[in-house]
Amino acid sequence: MIATQVAEILLFPGLTFFVWIAFLFDWLDRKTSARMQQRVGPLLAGPSGILQPVADFFKLISKEEIVPEFADRFIFFLGPPLFFAAPAIGIIFIPVLGTAAIVSNEYDLLFVLFIIAFSALMAAFLGYSAAGRWSTIAMGRLIAQYTGYEIPMIIALITPAILAHSLSITGIVFAQQNMWYIVFAPLSFIVFIVSALAELEKPPFDIPSAKTEIVGGWMTEFSGRPLAYIKLTKNLSYAFLSALAVSLFLGGPLGPVLFMDPTLQAALDFVYFVVKLLFVGFLIFVIRTALARIKIDQAVRFFWMVITPLSLIQLAFIMVLWWK
Amino acid sequence: MPALDPFVIAGPILVVVADIIVYVVVGKLGTKSSGKGGKYQPFTGGEEQIPVRGTYQSELFVFAALFMVVEAFALILAGSFASSTNFYPLLFLAGGGGVILVITWWLLVVGGMRA
Repeated sequence: MIATQVAEILLFPGLTFFVWIAFLFDWLDRKTSARMQQRVGPLLAGPSGILQPVADFFKLISKEEIVPEFADRFIFFLGPPLFFAAPAIGIIFIPVLGTAAIVSNEYDLLFVLFIIAFSALMAAFLGYSAAGRWSTIAMGRLIAQYTGYEIPMIIALITPAILAHSLSITGIVFAQQNMWYIVFAPLSFIVFIVSALAELEKPPFDIPSAKTEIVGGWMTEFSGRPLAYIKLTKNLSYAFLSALAVSLFLGGPLGPVLFMDPTLQAALDFVYFVVKLLFVGFLIFVIRTALARIKIDQAVRFFWMVITPLSLIQLAFIMVLWWK
Repeated sequence: MPALDPFVIAGPILVVVADIIVYVVVGKLGTKSSGKGGKYQPFTGGEEQIPVRGTYQSELFVFAALFMVVEAFALILAGSFASSTNFYPLLFLAGGGGVILVITWWLLVVGGMRA
């Protein structure tokens, strides 16, 4: 029993599965943006270049790690695996096969909210630990952006919890058996997707990693294994936030067809989950390719003046519905 | 007090341990170097001045620290809306708050709050 649960956490449908989903997302992201820009995109590693992210990862971890003279060595080395740990922990609370996650608890949504905050803060501190000019500027931008998108993201994630009367992700998925919460709270879904773009530093909110302004952003001084880990973490966060959107707004692995056989049902749940995951991921790929970068003051103003009120309007609507 | 699934605590710890083990093991593949000299200077984009640590926008750090405190209280409020017991909210808040406390402490130690 314990061995099974450990295997589920580390292999399937836990960490290893989501790492492969992260590689797939990276490939799809690059391929989609390439197609939209009349380019070919990754082509050489594997069929249609599908193994290019894996090849890039192994190339990076085999390269030389250079530690800058003034870097805070402790965070510089320990930061990347801790940064990776944030989404890696989050995914074990996501139901993939059926309505129950590998690990679930009555209040795991709260824990996941902390994980999201921790991930952004780790990115900021990684930038600060490198002690480079560009990474320091990027870290300031990242913290400013974080103070903009964090509140609406939390409100958007609390809305389905109020609808389901539960702070458990598993409980929220279970409560969507009759109707997905995107129907009751479409604004919260939109707010979450926009906030996720900011959390993932994707255009139009790629201000902390704006290559044409501040070189590589907060990752400028990283190389070799730490850089490989950071890039993998960003893709894992991509998959994790998409999976969170699927669980809280699109019914998780629930679908219209039910089987009596539990194995067949689990396989079907898995297919539903992956299809929904790819849909949310594709939505983010298209938005990020179609929009251009805005300035940091515009981003923070946008979140405080537009996105936060939108999330509050949706929350107020849901509260009225809930009290009835 | 409700029964606690041990994997709620053990699961995240397992992930972190596995993560660090893999990180250390794959670290054997590449070479590592540190020291003094041009190769180890922070990238300046061709400019002469090397940035000085700990003097950048201290107001922003103060604001971010206060923001985190307010956020923790907001989560306590959010977590209490349908709570039958305060055990798990307090447990997770202690864990999350502890992490935020440690990284804020690190920020203070390295000088992020210096003017």
